[in-house]
Amino acid sequence: MTDDVAEADAHLDFDLEDESDDAGEHAESIPLGDPCLVVDDLHIVFRVFGGKKRESAKKQGLHVQDATPVRRNPVKRLLGAGRQHVGAVSEVHAVRGVSFTARHGESIGIVGINGSGKSTLLRAITGLIPPHTGSVYVDGEPALLGVNAALMPQMTGAKNIEIGGLALGMTPRQIDEKFDEVVEFADIGDFVDMPMRTYSSGMAARLRFAISSAAVPDILMVDEALATGDAAFKARSKARIEEVREQAGTVFLVSHSISTIEAMCTRVLWMHQGQLVMDGPVEEVTEAYRAFVRAHRQARSSARAGGRRQNRQDGQSRQDRQRRS
Amino acid sequence: MTPVKTATSGAQDAGRPRPPEPPDPVVPSTSSAERQAIAEQFGLTKMGVRPPLWTYIKDVARRGAFIRVLGMSSAYARNQNTYLGQLWAVLNPILNAAVYVLIFGMLLNVSRGVDNTIAFIVIGVFLFRFVEQSVNGGAQSIAKRSNLIRSLHFPRAVLPLSNVMSHLTTLVPALVVMCLIVLGSGLLPAYEPVPVTWQWLLLIPAVGMLWVFNMGLAFVMARLVAITPDLDNVISFILRLAMYGSGVIFPVVRYVSELPEWMQGWMGTILEFQPIAVYLYLGRSSLMNEEGFPQEPFMWVLGAVWAVVFFVVGFIIFWRGEERYGRD
Repeated sequence: MTDDVAEADAHLDFDLEDESDDAGEHAESIPLGDPCLVVDDLHIVFRVFGGKKRESAKKQGLHVQDATPVRRNPVKRLLGAGRQHVGAVSEVHAVRGVSFTARHGESIGIVGINGSGKSTLLRAITGLIPPHTGSVYVDGEPALLGVNAALMPQMTGAKNIEIGGLALGMTPRQIDEKFDEVVEFADIGDFVDMPMRTYSSGMAARLRFAISSAAVPDILMVDEALATGDAAFKARSKARIEEVREQAGTVFLVSHSISTIEAMCTRVLWMHQGQLVMDGPVEEVTEAYRAFVRAHRQARSSARAGGRRQNRQDGQSRQDRQRRS
Repeated sequence: MTPVKTATSGAQDAGRPRPPEPPDPVVPSTSSAERQAIAEQFGLTKMGVRPPLWTYIKDVARRGAFIRVLGMSSAYARNQNTYLGQLWAVLNPILNAAVYVLIFGMLLNVSRGVDNTIAFIVIGVFLFRFVEQSVNGGAQSIAKRSNLIRSLHFPRAVLPLSNVMSHLTTLVPALVVMCLIVLGSGLLPAYEPVPVTWQWLLLIPAVGMLWVFNMGLAFVMARLVAITPDLDNVISFILRLAMYGSGVIFPVVRYVSELPEWMQGWMGTILEFQPIAVYLYLGRSSLMNEEGFPQEPFMWVLGAVWAVVFFVVGFIIFWRGEERYGRD
């Protein structure tokens, strides 16, 4: 997970707001072609250093999020303290047996609450995280939209266009040809000769998107790339994604904004705790997911507020009792 | 008091609404065998399979420009946020060498028959620094860049290669300074004058071979540390051992005669012909005009052999782990 995504996760939680410019828009459906991606019973397991809670999750056979730390008496805890910090290696089962087939011309959204395995699934499909078991078959080379990790904030925008382009597998000549187009698309003007760390976050985001979409891959994966940028830029990116879809076929999009998914996708996968819980046409899945998120949020907020209220009531009744006696 | 407390927590648990349950996991409409058949029918290729060695070599070669640009940019970025900026690439080894000259050359006087101690130490420190940086950089090239590995496709050998390239970039100006210091040391009254001869040009192939050797080292370190991150902590000790064992600051080979007799034979051979000692010898024999460091064809052959062996073996070791980098 890139830093940016992690940051977005922290801030966005889950986002149900309907953005006005997305509302009512729908991705035009393109006649489907042959299968271009087959995911067969995919499992992804991460090695985690220094995690103990995970081990208790494994023991209880639960997902990480649901596991409660095991309570031990103080003597045992003292004895086990060494083992908790030395050689504490455990495993997180991030994707647990996902299978699906995608066809040319499809635009697939992936939704799910935080930590459900969306980004991991996306990276595994791209071949960036090797599967633990299971396999991914693909036609052509899938590419993740996002060169953030390759770029260097100390270097100028121009240098970063070169680095990013090379990282994406373009030749120096292709980069020369695309250079002006990228600068124009990113709309950064003279800042192209300034170090990237002097850019505003919007400018940096635009440049990143412009660089990553300079190469047109067979299968395009987008992970929250549209989280930043103004409305005009958003519209242009949307056009770029449509263009890729028409040319090459398949687009995958992970986003917390349901309205973005609705506007750009024809099919949606819903991930929950590493498993695929729903796979179908966009309206059907987003409706169910929206209901789920609302209920989830309600449950959480009332749990938070409810606990406090109950304590206060309890205290009051105790005071009452004391006063009466 | 206690019963009240438990009652409260019990009430809290009951009062909290359960989070909603999502639908049950989708049962795929096709079986695993059917999906594999579909994949085969439409000619899809399997992801995450290590490419054959020859294809891999061609992939890496095609990324030559990426290796160069990434290496040079990270060399530049490393020293960018200081007042003296790129000057540190040269100042750092000078200060390093100055400390060793002061302690080992002047205070301890362990030069054992080397006339120009300053030239000896400076050449040793500057060249060994390249080895040191390549080992450290190679070790971290995969382990510290999992972000990059998890977001883009490219042969992972690019990372250790560009890392060594970045250190070579900073080495080149440092080498010019090194030659100037060696030249200047000849002006001191205590030392013989150092003549500039055609032999000085031999420094270029010597550094070239050292570069190839360092790439091999970086490959091995990259794979080791990517798989066992703990090794990163051990490297500094091994490097220090290598530094004293290669005669970077004093001619360790000339101390062999003080060892017990049964050790002298094999210990002397190892100390003299191990790769780092060979490259230091080549560098010194090129610049220093001393009887103790004559040009020796055998050492040049040995230097070439070590470079090729380390590079080829290191590359294969690295390639065999290719599909595992990035998973952790």
